[in-house]
Amino acid sequence: MSIRDFLNRRDKDRELDEEIQAHLSMAIRDRIERGEDPREAERAACREFGNRALIQETTRNEWGWGWLEEFWHDARYAFRGMRSNPVFTAVAVSSLALGIGANTAIFTLVYAVLLRPLPVAHPEQLVELLQKYPGEPRGNGYWSERSVDHYRQHNHVFASITGMGIDNRAQLRIDSPESRFGVAEHVLNNYFVELGIRPALGRLIGPQDGKDNAVTVISWNLWASRFHNDPAVLGKTIHIDNKPMAIIGVTPREFAGMRIDAKTDVWIPANEVNGYNLIARLKPGVTLTQARAEMEQLFRFTIEERAARSTDPLVQQLRVEVEPCGTGFSKIRDRMGDPLTLLMAVVGVLLLLACVNVASMMLARGAARAREMALRLGLGASRGRLIRQALTEALLLSGAGTLAGAVVAWFGTGLLLRIIASGRPAERIQLEVGPEPPVLLFAAAVAMLTGLLFGLVPAWAALRSLPAFALRPSGRTSETRFSRYIGRALVTAQVALSVLLLGSGALFISHLLHLRSADLGFRRDHLLLVNLDPSIPGIRGEQLAQIYKQFLDRMNTIPGVRLASLSAPTPLHGAGASGFGTAEGVPQRFEERRRISISWVGPRYFETMNTPLLAGREFTLQDHSNPRIAIINSTVARHLFGDRDPLGKRITLDGVTGTREPSTYEIVGVAGDTNYMEIREKERRGIFLPAFRTGRVTAGTFLLRTDVDPESVTAAARRAVAEIAPTIPVTNITTLTEQIEATIVTERLMATLSGFFAVLGALLAGIGIYGLLAYTVARRTNEIGIRMALGATRAGVVSMIVKEALVIVGAGIAVGIPIALWGQTLAAKFLAEQMAVPVTSFFLGSLVILAVALLAAYFPAQRAAAVDPMESLRHE
Amino acid sequence: MAKPEGYKNRIELLQGTLDMLILQTLRWGPQHGYGIAQAIRAGSGEVLQVETGSLYPALHRLEKQSWIRSEWKSTEHNQRAKYYELTAAGRKHLAAEFDRWTQLSAAIAGLMEPKEQS
Repeated sequence: MSIRDFLNRRDKDRELDEEIQAHLSMAIRDRIERGEDPREAERAACREFGNRALIQETTRNEWGWGWLEEFWHDARYAFRGMRSNPVFTAVAVSSLALGIGANTAIFTLVYAVLLRPLPVAHPEQLVELLQKYPGEPRGNGYWSERSVDHYRQHNHVFASITGMGIDNRAQLRIDSPESRFGVAEHVLNNYFVELGIRPALGRLIGPQDGKDNAVTVISWNLWASRFHNDPAVLGKTIHIDNKPMAIIGVTPREFAGMRIDAKTDVWIPANEVNGYNLIARLKPGVTLTQARAEMEQLFRFTIEERAARSTDPLVQQLRVEVEPCGTGFSKIRDRMGDPLTLLMAVVGVLLLLACVNVASMMLARGAARAREMALRLGLGASRGRLIRQALTEALLLSGAGTLAGAVVAWFGTGLLLRIIASGRPAERIQLEVGPEPPVLLFAAAVAMLTGLLFGLVPAWAALRSLPAFALRPSGRTSETRFSRYIGRALVTAQVALSVLLLGSGALFISHLLHLRSADLGFRRDHLLLVNLDPSIPGIRGEQLAQIYKQFLDRMNTIPGVRLASLSAPTPLHGAGASGFGTAEGVPQRFEERRRISISWVGPRYFETMNTPLLAGREFTLQDHSNPRIAIINSTVARHLFGDRDPLGKRITLDGVTGTREPSTYEIVGVAGDTNYMEIREKERRGIFLPAFRTGRVTAGTFLLRTDVDPESVTAAARRAVAEIAPTIPVTNITTLTEQIEATIVTERLMATLSGFFAVLGALLAGIGIYGLLAYTVARRTNEIGIRMALGATRAGVVSMIVKEALVIVGAGIAVGIPIALWGQTLAAKFLAEQMAVPVTSFFLGSLVILAVALLAAYFPAQRAAAVDPMESLRHE
Repeated sequence: MAKPEGYKNRIELLQGTLDMLILQTLRWGPQHGYGIAQAIRAGSGEVLQVETGSLYPALHRLEKQSWIRSEWKSTEHNQRAKYYELTAAGRKHLAAEFDRWTQLSAAIAGLMEPKEQS
């Protein structure tokens, strides 16, 4: 019989009922026709027919769903058990839900970031070519067209090389005069062929398309959102960066470029791209090692090409890296991969803890039900049948846990994505995550495994108890030494696991706190950043400088604002400029040249930022006429001038981002070191130039040092701008704290989650200890009664219970700490820097779990102390 | 449950035999459960009684094995009833069963009433 029959079995039941009813009707009719009294006939027919329900039952058995029926009975029985024990059920289901939910949520991310293959042909053969400066993250996207040609001609390891330039802020204009920003890829014409992408509509850019072909392929998303999937889109013209392009095709829905953290909207033929991302396909049989070896040889070409145009000595130290990219470009993996793997390990521990928790609870319940089990065994139930019953209960619990866990995962994933999305705009991640089949499979597998794990232990323990013992009038002897041993081992494991979770939570939180309190060279709180875009009304030059001076004056008068200044870029914004500095009259070896970060700042900048001025003076508005002045920080002063006084000396900047000409400045001040781009900077070399110069201003961001909550002056700042220059839009207002927080998204993610998991872990362990002790007290009520009758004091009884708790916690800590230390060395390999003292954090974790254990022991101890000797002995 | 006195002389059927008799009965055309029971009783001169408790499980078992199939039809008294009908496979199975039964009953008969001692 098929499953469909099973689902239709209500109908089959009805049909059988009708069949039997027809049988009876015919029998009665026959009897009446033979002359019997109708009522007598009916009674006789029924009597002759026999036990109708039983006959239906045996007939149904022929349908062959016996095991399903049995399962159904077990499930109903288990369900009744769950309902009659709501606290147990709630704790078990919610701890499983949190364990499974957290695992699914993190795995959803892990899958999207690390594992999901791109929808391209043979993704496993794809590699990307990256360049790396020592001490900096590696990057794709800096390859020249000449390098591409060189590699294509000289390599023996790649079947093909293709590439594209990515423009994340391309202007797209479709059908309407307004444009919006989108992502455009400028692709080499073998891009789609080599990736093996087939168009959803029309054709893709191919070898027949020259550099100047004004054609474009659009994404499915764009096609759906702007063209409502209209096939007539082919041949239409859209404007990309103000150039008209004819649409020739649409990519398939699942393909949105090689990046998993961003979606491409349009593809156009590459023409004068100044930095290519390169993708290569390995020849069959060629290993990654071979490809790396050959690329290291070929890379000399690029180094020489770069060195010819650069004055940076570090160019010689550039390295090439070849990395698989079948799951997308490695950039996001480099950034998120290790933290995600660590988090996966942490939630794995949490799930294990949840399982152990439920197992120990079920064990305690199993012991309480040992009599029932023994009775059923005695009445002839097979052991297999009882194990099946126990497994059904466990599976039902884990099934309920999975369902609730799916809800947790849904919200959890949303929360994770929100934390991740709070990063810097340029690093913001748009992940496409959803209930992918592998993720659901993972959740289901976890649930099943959990079910098997904690279903078998209690069943096994129950079956090891002998029926004869269990059925003795005093049910307390039913507990075997075996199950008591297991029970304690499980709670000890819970303590050990939660020490692990508490330790890692403390570690990540202290790491975050450490970053938050790290000295960046300025005060990070109470500072509002007001960003404007004067390029939109097109105001510039002297006019803009006048307006900006008015802005500064006005902002200085806003109530609550102590001081206002101006800076471009602002600290840790994530953008910047740099150049090489040479001190006049001080010879410098080429290898010693280092980049110096440049900031253009307004008057009283250092006072606004609370950065100490070590020598000299700040810029003033009077410097307007004398723009060739600079303030250097103490690292630059030491590097270029050694012990000599830099004030009044001259410094020359060359190789400045975006300019060619070197220029010379007179040093008027020396300031303390400050961080420029990142919260972690090994070398903080900085130079400050005046924002206000003759006839112009570097239109930076206004910095408002406030005495009040900086957010509270937001409206006043907007008003000030609107009153002075209503045409200049305020593009963004944020606080410096927020801007800094955006740079430590990963750390925040780790701290938030591991902290949350640590609390959960402590809670679960607390419940475990409480459950064990409560059970112990219940089991030993008469023993305690006897002890008290024989003269034991209440304090003695309490200390007996507390001692049991302490022994378990001690054992758990003793087991947990070495594992935690081992895990910490493992984690240290993942994390770039040494984190705050681990010993302290595990000590802290142990203290917390000790406190939790004492709290958990309190109520059972109370109950034990309240035992009335007379009452308890009557119990017997 | 006490059986009515009137049935005590009747012989209850073993499962395998019942299956064969049902198939045999259906050789004469489609029939419903009640009709099959009546036919066996009448055909055996009221000797063989078919317990409904065995009949219906047997019918459903045979149907599951595709030896018979069923259809709802009306009786001549306009009563809706489930009619069973022999399938080709059932016909073949009946022939095989009948052979086995013939052998078996010949063997039993040989044991029970020895014709000559050797």
